[in-house]
Amino acid sequence: MTHSLHRFGSIESQRNDFVWFIYQSKGINDADFEEKARRAIAIAEKCGSENWGDIKIGCKLKCPANEIATNLSRQSRIRGVFTKREQVVEFLKEMKEADLGLSVIISGLLDEVLPSCEEAALTPHTINYSLGVWGKKDLLPEEDVLAITSMCGHHMIAANLVRKKMEEVKKGRKSAEKAAEELAVLCPCGIFNQVRAARILQEAAVKA
Amino acid sequence: MVQINRKLCVGCATCIPYCPVEAFKKEAEERKVYVDEEVCTNCYVCIRNNVCPVGAIEESNLDNFMKQFQHVISDPTVTSEGTGVPGRGTEEAKTNDVTGRYGRGEFGICIDMGRPGIGCRLRDAEKVAMAVAQAGVVLEGPETTPLATLMTDIKTGKLVDEALDTNVLSVIIEGKCPKEKLPDVLMALRRVEKEIETTFCLGIVSRAEQEEASFFFETLEKLGIPKPFRGKVNVGLGRPLIP
Ligand code: SF4
Ligand code: SF4
Repeated sequence: MTHSLHRFGSIESQRNDFVWFIYQSKGINDADFEEKARRAIAIAEKCGSENWGDIKIGCKLKCPANEIATNLSRQSRIRGVFTKREQVVEFLKEMKEADLGLSVIISGLLDEVLPSCEEAALTPHTINYSLGVWGKKDLLPEEDVLAITSMCGHHMIAANLVRKKMEEVKKGRKSAEKAAEELAVLCPCGIFNQVRAARILQEAAVKA
Repeated sequence: MVQINRKLCVGCATCIPYCPVEAFKKEAEERKVYVDEEVCTNCYVCIRNNVCPVGAIEESNLDNFMKQFQHVISDPTVTSEGTGVPGRGTEEAKTNDVTGRYGRGEFGICIDMGRPGIGCRLRDAEKVAMAVAQAGVVLEGPETTPLATLMTDIKTGKLVDEALDTNVLSVIIEGKCPKEKLPDVLMALRRVEKEIETTFCLGIVSRAEQEEASFFFETLEKLGIPKPFRGKVNVGLGRPLIP
């Protein structure tokens, strides 16, 4: 699905928010997937991926990284986040070098992702463009809440829970980083960017 | 829907903020919480994360097909039997470098009904699916996308009647159209967005070549739709079936 595509919040706050994926296709290039996935994970870790996971096992903030890597299956879906463009460029260069034959996908602002591909000497094949939200937009929560809830594209993180964490940070009951990690573990895929979330929580606390 | 064991519930309200669709409600009389069955999507966020300190939230009895469908669609950790893909949708652009699902001169349409985080009745998914099908979208079949398993006719997007009142956290409508149909499809979406009780997120899949991008951006400009600034980019490292 398109769970990394539609993220919200200010453009500036999306600038340091990238989602990476490694995808196998059943019957086409999924032979030895577990081994290839472990190599891809090692590359992502080396490049500094702050969060990643497999939807069936969980994200690395919840499960030790080696446990996820050990328990991978041929059906596993591996994805995670980067918070700097340099990490993306490095990751793409290394994945090109590793030549695993798997599909590699990066979601983010197009004016960050496309130049990153160019820097890594890669020619993009296909793009899924986000045309945003349609329909009854008055049902949407406040922008900073939506910026956080939409980082779990399966929407496993409730707007009310984000508001509660904002309140806790504002009252000084916990740090923005701790609150962001408590939200991140609810996203089973590991594509929730807790670094960006902490920044948004902190800004909301200062604004209030 | 999930249930609260009333004997165990102490009314602490810890569970309430965790539900993405606000299905936990406080009883008026006693200090207990109940689950509003009209609202719960069986996403199991509450169960998976053990949010109740006394273990009072219990799994649903998924005793009919629609409840099972609702759970599979709303809980992305469960694999859809039809597609074999965990989650609500399929691989769309992500594996296009090896599957060749979207060729040059074609656009993929990915409509995430109920997103971001609003939820949706399948009645609204049917309205949107029928609108785009009529405008020229060839909808994906049940082997690739779960919603198609409920369609009586894949050519029209009509769903079985018993599905219409079911609410899900999100469900994806997927298909593709030839490039000349793209303006009609976008206009159909402009019309139908006013007829639904929820939101959807729209993704348009295109080959990355300049020619396709220019056509797409010109179409958006003509229709007054803002140019996209986010995208999911398949960087072309998969081994292609179709060169
Ligand atoms: S968290 Fe458990 S005990 Fe507390 S209100 Fe909810 S169901 Fe009842
Ligand atoms: S299963 Fe999901 S929708 Fe139902 S009460 Fe639990 S969190 Fe809410």
